[in-house]
Amino acid sequence: MKIIDIHTHFPGHSFGGTPKTGAQLRREFEKEGLDGAWIMTTDGLLKDPVRHNDLLFNGVKNHRDFFIPFCTVSPHDELDDTLLELKRCAHRLKMGGLKLHPWLQAFSLTHPNVAPILRKAGELGMPVLFHDGTPPYSAPLQIAYAAEQVPQTTIILGHSGLDDLWEEAVIACQRHPNIYLCLQGLSAGYIREIINICPVEKLLFGSDGGFAPNLIRSAIVKLQCSGAPDKILRKIFQDNPRRLLALGRGT
Amino acid sequence: MKCDIIDSAACLPVVNGKLCPALWRAERKSWKIVHTIAAPSAEFVAVYNAEANDQMVKLMQTRHSGISGLAVANPWYGKRAVQILRKAFEDGLVGLYLHPARQGFKLCEAIVDPLIKVCREYDRPVYSHTGTPVCAMPFQLAELARRFPAVTFVMGHAGYSDFSGYDLIPAAEQARNIMIETSCTGCGVIESVINELGAERVLFGTGYPRSLPGCEIEKLKILNLNPAASALVMRENAVRLWKLHL
Repeated sequence: MKIIDIHTHFPGHSFGGTPKTGAQLRREFEKEGLDGAWIMTTDGLLKDPVRHNDLLFNGVKNHRDFFIPFCTVSPHDELDDTLLELKRCAHRLKMGGLKLHPWLQAFSLTHPNVAPILRKAGELGMPVLFHDGTPPYSAPLQIAYAAEQVPQTTIILGHSGLDDLWEEAVIACQRHPNIYLCLQGLSAGYIREIINICPVEKLLFGSDGGFAPNLIRSAIVKLQCSGAPDKILRKIFQDNPRRLLALGRGT
Repeated sequence: MKCDIIDSAACLPVVNGKLCPALWRAERKSWKIVHTIAAPSAEFVAVYNAEANDQMVKLMQTRHSGISGLAVANPWYGKRAVQILRKAFEDGLVGLYLHPARQGFKLCEAIVDPLIKVCREYDRPVYSHTGTPVCAMPFQLAELARRFPAVTFVMGHAGYSDFSGYDLIPAAEQARNIMIETSCTGCGVIESVINELGAERVLFGTGYPRSLPGCEIEKLKILNLNPAASALVMRENAVRLWKLHL
């Protein structure tokens, strides 16, 4: 079965990281068992999102059969500029989606720019992957509040609420048709619970790979330990991400 | 893993008002886990402490149970909590289990001090769930540990999730009487803890049922620890800390 990882990071200088080329990263990811990856900036979540969108684009441009890059924007910037940047990333850079990290980017989901950004992402066919699971800005129900205002936009909770808030993530996923769960960062027992109670079509595999060593392998093991049958794992690892975004976009 | 494993962090599910070790035994039987330090869960942690402790003592007395139990006593019960804890230690439970998020207090609040004094008196360690803001964070545990330097504290789940990569090591450096339990957190964090604090301060735990033995053991395998460090983490530190006679 092929494994598409929908939550990886392009390493930069932040968080003790070391920058790598797209080729290096692809080799590492393939060695750890991946057949494709949605990839997001790390440094760009802290500063200069436009510059880091370009760096990410250039970093993986020769590997678009493997990587689908996601851009980022800051809701604190001028809304018109932000929406233009989103359009540029979708049309010129052929990026697949948008990554937002309310904790690192320090914005509330009630910020007036958030709904227009999410709406525009939906219009451009870009799923939005959120960091979630950490108060005060990234609780699943806070993201659900924003998701409810943009029903045409696909919203992915990047950590399914993490261990403290996974039950809220389940509520959000069950209530809102546009909310999907990425099973990254949760402990294996909670992953098993989520697989048992949420629609499997809305579950996705992610590892945070690229952020630190060994994350991909241990994330795969967690999912395999869940005891889910192969036909379910195939949906999570392969079919669901492919349904949302096809690899090769922008090549 | 070459050595038999001791798990320092499992919680036994409660089914119909009874501790249910069968689910845990079924889960651990595929792995070389020879002994488990077990706490109760759910309402037994928050409310029905005396019942939980009594059932845990009975489980320990069952032949080949493979379990050493932790006592629970919600600090909000005040003097009654102290009495409950004393009885539990007299009956043979091996440490105190705290879960501030379930029990409704902050780790650094003085309300827990009377229970820690009992632990000091009986020379029993304290295992605390950590990682949940605003009540169970690594620096709060360090504060408590500094108040009671003669008591050993176990930082459950290594402050996972978002305290693992940041607060964990600086907090543990503040108090040498803190040990780190490995469940739920990432293998990169465990590697950093071993490198910076030493393997003698690390305890393997499965975190069951929040996590599962297979992936927790695999996590340690990925690190490819040297045999001496592996033996400390997977077994010897636990034998020493919990005073096990296996």
